Amino acid sequence: MLLQLNNIFKWVQSGGQRIFLLKDINLEVKEGEFISIMGPSGSGKSTLLNVIGMLDTFDEGEYHFLEDSVHNLKEKHRSNLYKEYIGFVFQSYHLLDDLTVQENLEMPLIYKKFKGSERKAMVADMLDRFNIVGKKDLFPAQLSGGQQQLVGIARALISNPKLILADEPTGNLNSKQGEEIMDLFKQLNDEGVTIIQVTHSEKNAEYGSRIINLLDGRMI
Amino acid sequence: MVVIYIKAAWRSILKNKLFSFINVLGLSIGICSAMVIGAIVYFDFSFDTFHKDKDKIYRVTTVFESNGNQFSNRGVAVPIMRTFQEGMPGVELAAPFMSANFFKVENKLQDLTFKNIENSILADNNYFELFEYDWLAGDSRSALSNPAQVVLSENKAQRYFPHTPVSDVVGKTLIYNDSISVKVSGVVADFKQNSDFKFTEFMSLSSAKMFGAKDIVTNDQWNGTSSGDQLFFKVKDEASVTLVESRLKELAKEHKNKAEWAANDERNFILQPLTNLHFGGPYGEYPFNNSNHVASIKVLKSLGFVALFLLLLGCANFINLNSAQALTRAKEIGIRKTLGSSKKQVVRQFLLETFILTCIAAILSLVLAPLLLRQFIDFLPADINLSILYSLKGALGILVLIVLVSFLSGFYPAFVLSGFRPVSVLKGQFSKGDKGVRLRKTLTVFQFVVAQVFVIATLLVTKQLHYVMNKDMGLKTNATAYISTPWNNSTDVQKERLFNAVKNIQELSNVSWGGNPPASNNYSTSMLTYFKEDAEMHQQTQMLWGDVNYLNTYKIPLLSGRQMLNDSVKEYIVNEAFAKEVGFQNTADVVGTFVKMDTLKIPIVGLMRDFHQHSLRSDIGPMAITGDWPDDDYPMFNKIHFDLGENSENWTNSVKQIEQAWASVYPDEEVQVQFMDEIVEGFYRTERSTVQLLTWATGLSILISCMGLLGLVVYTTEKRVKEIGVRKVLGANLAQLNMELSKEFLILIGIAFLISVPISWYLIQEWIQNFAYKTALSWWVFLTSGIGMVLVALAVIGTRTYRTANINPVESLRAE
Repeated sequence: MLLQLNNIFKWVQSGGQRIFLLKDINLEVKEGEFISIMGPSGSGKSTLLNVIGMLDTFDEGEYHFLEDSVHNLKEKHRSNLYKEYIGFVFQSYHLLDDLTVQENLEMPLIYKKFKGSERKAMVADMLDRFNIVGKKDLFPAQLSGGQQQLVGIARALISNPKLILADEPTGNLNSKQGEEIMDLFKQLNDEGVTIIQVTHSEKNAEYGSRIINLLDGRMI
Repeated sequence: MVVIYIKAAWRSILKNKLFSFINVLGLSIGICSAMVIGAIVYFDFSFDTFHKDKDKIYRVTTVFESNGNQFSNRGVAVPIMRTFQEGMPGVELAAPFMSANFFKVENKLQDLTFKNIENSILADNNYFELFEYDWLAGDSRSALSNPAQVVLSENKAQRYFPHTPVSDVVGKTLIYNDSISVKVSGVVADFKQNSDFKFTEFMSLSSAKMFGAKDIVTNDQWNGTSSGDQLFFKVKDEASVTLVESRLKELAKEHKNKAEWAANDERNFILQPLTNLHFGGPYGEYPFNNSNHVASIKVLKSLGFVALFLLLLGCANFINLNSAQALTRAKEIGIRKTLGSSKKQVVRQFLLETFILTCIAAILSLVLAPLLLRQFIDFLPADINLSILYSLKGALGILVLIVLVSFLSGFYPAFVLSGFRPVSVLKGQFSKGDKGVRLRKTLTVFQFVVAQVFVIATLLVTKQLHYVMNKDMGLKTNATAYISTPWNNSTDVQKERLFNAVKNIQELSNVSWGGNPPASNNYSTSMLTYFKEDAEMHQQTQMLWGDVNYLNTYKIPLLSGRQMLNDSVKEYIVNEAFAKEVGFQNTADVVGTFVKMDTLKIPIVGLMRDFHQHSLRSDIGPMAITGDWPDDDYPMFNKIHFDLGENSENWTNSVKQIEQAWASVYPDEEVQVQFMDEIVEGFYRTERSTVQLLTWATGLSILISCMGLLGLVVYTTEKRVKEIGVRKVLGANLAQLNMELSKEFLILIGIAFLISVPISWYLIQEWIQNFAYKTALSWWVFLTSGIGMVLVALAVIGTRTYRTANINPVESLRAE
């Protein structure tokens, strides 16, 4: 088992009232799953994804990731944990504008303190695998949306994470580009990477092995 | 990994050109000032630091106290030199020397004649034992053992004996003052390092008699002190200093002036450490008679503060702009964090970025530094330079400065930036909180307080300078001038011929003989004794010497009594201050009374109106003028004073005629016409340099502050674009929008103004205490500077708010 959420609650105080963003979430994710989270706007999809990604905190409940109890961990350990095991893919790609494709790919490796020679090899490998060797010296602004997302995924994958979290990865792409990206996810999943995606699209959700529906912070 | 950081930093610098430019410029102004001022401070602290046992070397100086006034003299009475030579407990080595005046040196062999001999002293072998010179020829232990021996510095040796190797110079003969033949016994290298010991010609002390100088062996003038008579010595050890000091105290007591009028006068011998020489000791004396610069710790401190403030302003700017910019960089931070960057790594990255910017600023500063230095060259010692910056020491200093500045200015922004939580990026909303806004506002207020204080200080110092330069001195300062007859080999006949020649120049009027001009930096005082109701009153009185025309030349009116009968009669004309000081309610009553000087009883025949004898720093003191009746055959009339007339177009011609007249009498000498208004101007040299320094500091601080303000405005207006759009849709017009946007900045500047007023008032109040005559610290100066600052700020704000207010609301509201 990769991760387990037990009775997760998250709320904000507004006008003396608790507004629940997440309410009693129980979720178990095994390695190799491909999960799609769906739901209308404001239902808590992204919040859930962020909680799973340890970027956001929760107010009540337990979160176990591999052998670690995330709810008991300090910020530093949490970030070490996600640094090690989780890769993020964003709707608007979020590449670093000032860095080239190659440098963007290299960045997570730097933060993980890989040696220079190793980094070079891993980056070259990834460029090759995604067929973007020719674009390695371009800046994000010089790429199309689909290409940017490709780089985004490559960057998320480069340090061999166990889990990829994708927040509407095709939201900014046209349908053809979207399809290509989803095929890529499918392929990655087949290779053994666990994926959790947030999506609005029924069609994209179908790529996954399991669908979780959220409404007002609750799983239905 | 550093490489990729540097790359990213460099690209982000290039991307935000305006911000980077402002950052770099602000920092480089600070760093540049710090470099220049650092070089100046280093220069002044580098004097005479190379002497062996420098911490054990002291100079004996004299401090007088009379009626609560203290004044100092860097020299000592000659007999005390003998006391030291005969042996003092605790003293290892004593080296007395005296400044020497040779009016002519001849090298007969090569038929060369030299005049205006400078930097010469009478010294003995001990001098060279105390201060180690590099001997190019001759023997340091015996070079000055006998009379009529001289040691020359390398430069001087080459001047006196051109094309002669130094080894051949030794043994050659020079003829001094027409008749004294002297053997060159050694040549020493000039000091390579900075030193106040600029002497180049060392005559043996035992030759003193030949040159009519004071002879240490026989001189018994315990009450005469000349600044040229120097006494240096080396103590045996640290503990001996107190021993010497107590012995000096005894000596001062033993040899106190026994004269009746000196009953209240004190004279103390004070030790001055060699290391303190360049800073003039407690009374700011120049190190030696031939020095043209004395470093003032006070000035260096003020300079240091200016540098510090400009540096802080630059840092404040940087903090301001970068934490403001944080908003635009939030996304980047968020991404980096999701990629696994720790807080520490973000901080490191931004500190590195800051470091790079600071380095660029430092390089720019190195280019700008010589330009800035040139602005102050007028009041800096001539031999100052920035070479220290390019030395290893300087490079280290600059590196420390860069690291310090990077840290100071980079730490807070880095801290703010690294605090962004990545989740806010994922949610697509950057923290719009007011994090750090208060700090930025505080920094902006700080910047404007500094700028405003500089502005007010500059205006008030300028006002005071204008006041003292234009205040009626009580004497005619425009068009009056004088020339000095040569102090040596000038006969009465020659003087008379010159006087008549000058008098015959048509354009000149009121030509008169006299001593010093009525207002000068000179203090020659005499003790006059006034009899009052059988009691004797001793009055220290500033003396002037002039013929019957002298007062007329300078248009100083007689209020009562009469002019002296002739040019050499023993009569006094005193000023009002004198009359008041000796107790006359009605000052005219002083006319007809008598004063005693030494044994002479002299009548006061006239009362002249008070005028300023010195700069307006000091009050008008008691003064008396009299004719030429020297008691020791030393002529008091050595200057010809005249009025050049109102039409300044004729002055060049008149000066030319004066030069011709001079040349006919003294063909070998040069004449210099000294203008009275230039002398008055010279009183305020420091004040003028203060104004110049302040003007620069003001300009730079306004520049930095405005850039900081611009940064804040850019940030705030960008944040409010949407709000402005909404307001515009609701019907606000341009003026209202501009007002709305400018309001908060004007409040900050208002606060800065309120803080700066008491600070600057206090500072100027302190400064102006130097003057006996002060300009008013008028409220309108403060107000004007405040309004001026608001206008400048408005202009800066306006460039941005106008643009923001003009944005089409369709654009700004669509951005959601």
